[in-house]
Amino acid sequence: MEYLPLFVRMQGKKALLIGNNETLTRKHTLLKSAGMEIYLVGDAPCQELIELIDSGVIKKTADTYSENLLDNISIVVCSNEDSAIAQRVSNDAMARELPVNIVNNTELSSFIFPSVIDRSPIVAAVSSGGQIPVMTRILRNLVESTLPFAYGRLAQLSSSFRAKVNAQYPAINQRRRFWEKHLAGYFAELVFSGKDKEAEAYLEDVIGKESMSETGEVYLVGAGPGDPDLLTFRALRLIRQADVVVYDRLVSTPILELARQDAEKIHVGKERSNHTLPQEKINQLLVRLAKEGKRVVRLKGGDPFIFGRGGEEIEELAASEVPFQVVPGITAASGCSSYSGIPLTHRDYSQSVRFITGHLKDGSCDLPWQEFVTKGQTLVFYMGLTGLDVICSQLISCGMDRSTPLALISKGTTPEQKVLTTTVEDATEAVKSVELKAPTLIIIGEVVRLREKLRWFD
Amino acid sequence: MGKLISFQRLETPGYVEPEWQAGEVALVGAGPGDPGLLTLRAYHLMQQADVVVFDRLVSADIMAMVTSKATRIDAGKSCKKHVLTQDRTNEVLVEQARMGKKVLRLKGGDPYIFGRGGEEVEVLIAAGIRFRVVPGITSAQGCTTYAGFPLTHRDYAQSVTFVTGHRQSSAEDSDGREALDLNWKSLATSAHTVVFYMGLGNAETITTEMIRAGRASSTPVALIERGTRPEQRTVITDLLSMPEAIIRNSLQPPTMIVVGEVVAIARQQTIQDNDLVPGIEFHQEDSTRLRL
Repeated sequence: MEYLPLFVRMQGKKALLIGNNETLTRKHTLLKSAGMEIYLVGDAPCQELIELIDSGVIKKTADTYSENLLDNISIVVCSNEDSAIAQRVSNDAMARELPVNIVNNTELSSFIFPSVIDRSPIVAAVSSGGQIPVMTRILRNLVESTLPFAYGRLAQLSSSFRAKVNAQYPAINQRRRFWEKHLAGYFAELVFSGKDKEAEAYLEDVIGKESMSETGEVYLVGAGPGDPDLLTFRALRLIRQADVVVYDRLVSTPILELARQDAEKIHVGKERSNHTLPQEKINQLLVRLAKEGKRVVRLKGGDPFIFGRGGEEIEELAASEVPFQVVPGITAASGCSSYSGIPLTHRDYSQSVRFITGHLKDGSCDLPWQEFVTKGQTLVFYMGLTGLDVICSQLISCGMDRSTPLALISKGTTPEQKVLTTTVEDATEAVKSVELKAPTLIIIGEVVRLREKLRWFD
Repeated sequence: MGKLISFQRLETPGYVEPEWQAGEVALVGAGPGDPGLLTLRAYHLMQQADVVVFDRLVSADIMAMVTSKATRIDAGKSCKKHVLTQDRTNEVLVEQARMGKKVLRLKGGDPYIFGRGGEEVEVLIAAGIRFRVVPGITSAQGCTTYAGFPLTHRDYAQSVTFVTGHRQSSAEDSDGREALDLNWKSLATSAHTVVFYMGLGNAETITTEMIRAGRASSTPVALIERGTRPEQRTVITDLLSMPEAIIRNSLQPPTMIVVGEVVAIARQQTIQDNDLVPGIEFHQEDSTRLRL
């Protein structure tokens, strides 16, 4: 950020405008609406300025600028066309640590005016740091059109109920839930449609009648394979409203950054063979946080219900009567398939696809290997890199053709995606020559051949 | 409003994506139906498209989110009545791209899981047309999650198979009722979830063959109609009673058939504040209520 955005109380302070053109009348409006006293320095002011002077809104103090006019001033705005004067004003003000704005000259200015959307007490200010004012204007229009004009009234009306609500709902999360519900609900709708009296009566009526549960909620959310743009809308919404984020190693940093700044972030593993928290403890953590009244988003790489152990977590939540929601995510197989150019099914090569966990219990192999070897089926192993040797030798010993193509996709969908194509026979040898980072997905089957033609991303 | 896309992009920190060029086709998965399950990338592309070629499985709610300036072409495949044949769809994609349009090929679910996306891309490559592929939530994921059970589970399912329950015929007008050519023995392994896409018409074959190949006739089955949409219906039954349950509940396509012990975990999710899925009808057939 090149500029610090602030809301500063300026009631009764003095602002000095230097110049004589109508730009200053626009600046005057903003400064005046914040309760400032306005002084003007400049000869031959434009008609609008003259009217303001005549009506006493602006006090003219001098025709020409001199440094001592800055005494007792809190803010300076200069639109003098004479660049020598602008330079002097800038130097003098900065020497006094006075905030100064030279119109259309960010170099000489110590602050800039944002584009303001006023729904007092709600105020939104937008700035492009003086770089692309057109963009600021478009954004402002966007905000202007999406913030109902009645937002100001909604805020005022709500604040008049604050004491009552606070008394009724002593816990902060109860209060928050109460307001979240009503500021986005029927109460707000009544205000927006101009029925303030009815809105007041409605809120009066519901306070006290509604017992805001103190139990929070858990959102089990699939964060997808890595690329933040592969998040779903539902996932984004729930991440943004969570009080606590409980996340895995597989969740990428840009996705975590979508959470509220004040949201607590808890990392619970899992590095392979170095589980930061055992699953049991994660389940208990989720229940405890929700019982404290928090809205918890449990973020998992991929999809929570495909090798994500989401089933175990919801069983625990349900047993403890904690409300929960589950949001599917793009699973690694889909993400890697699209981005590597390997369709998982294809009319000519594969009529089915089987996802298998390659995270073999104790390195053992109690999987029905024989049944994996079937024509026209694509096999996808999740977390299979360490078990690659076992996977390939088991498949071959169960009769899989040694030349069956195999692809290893490391960090799929991200800019660091790496794809290695080989065969079931050569895979173990081939991975030795390249460095593949976790997570790595393994795809086995004729469809792998299509990559040569269909690759596009890497 | 087309220009605003760049501002909406400011909202998400996605990896830098190459600019969508004139004459390029984007093959995009639209997910199972709930617009909330659309990816942010799919949405960004929907705002930039000149032409959208869409399937019957893309919900109306999602089509409503496509920029109004885009031309809409219905390539909707329903089993009986092809609006456009696959060959014709391929031709349309090539024609539109050659006219210099940004062509969005929007598919229900994921383009590379029973979406025939591979075939379409092969045609584009042969015609020298640039393309990109965006994955989507496949129906198996959406349907099961909204029905309240996982696809894999440490204790009940170490693997999951997606299979088409519709015969893969080379003839475009196949009625889908011919014998399914599947490896039933492989599908019937225990501790395994099997999801049949488009399997409604072959329910009896599925029951017979799965049981013959060794799957217990009491294996739980979920039948999920119009999954993730407000009118989703979930019927829980078992392998043996499945064909009858379909008739009794008059289930219609699209209905997903899910076979496996994970189904028994099904319970109604709390969809409390969901703005998109107001209510999901949930039937548990009493005779087969299971406890694990």
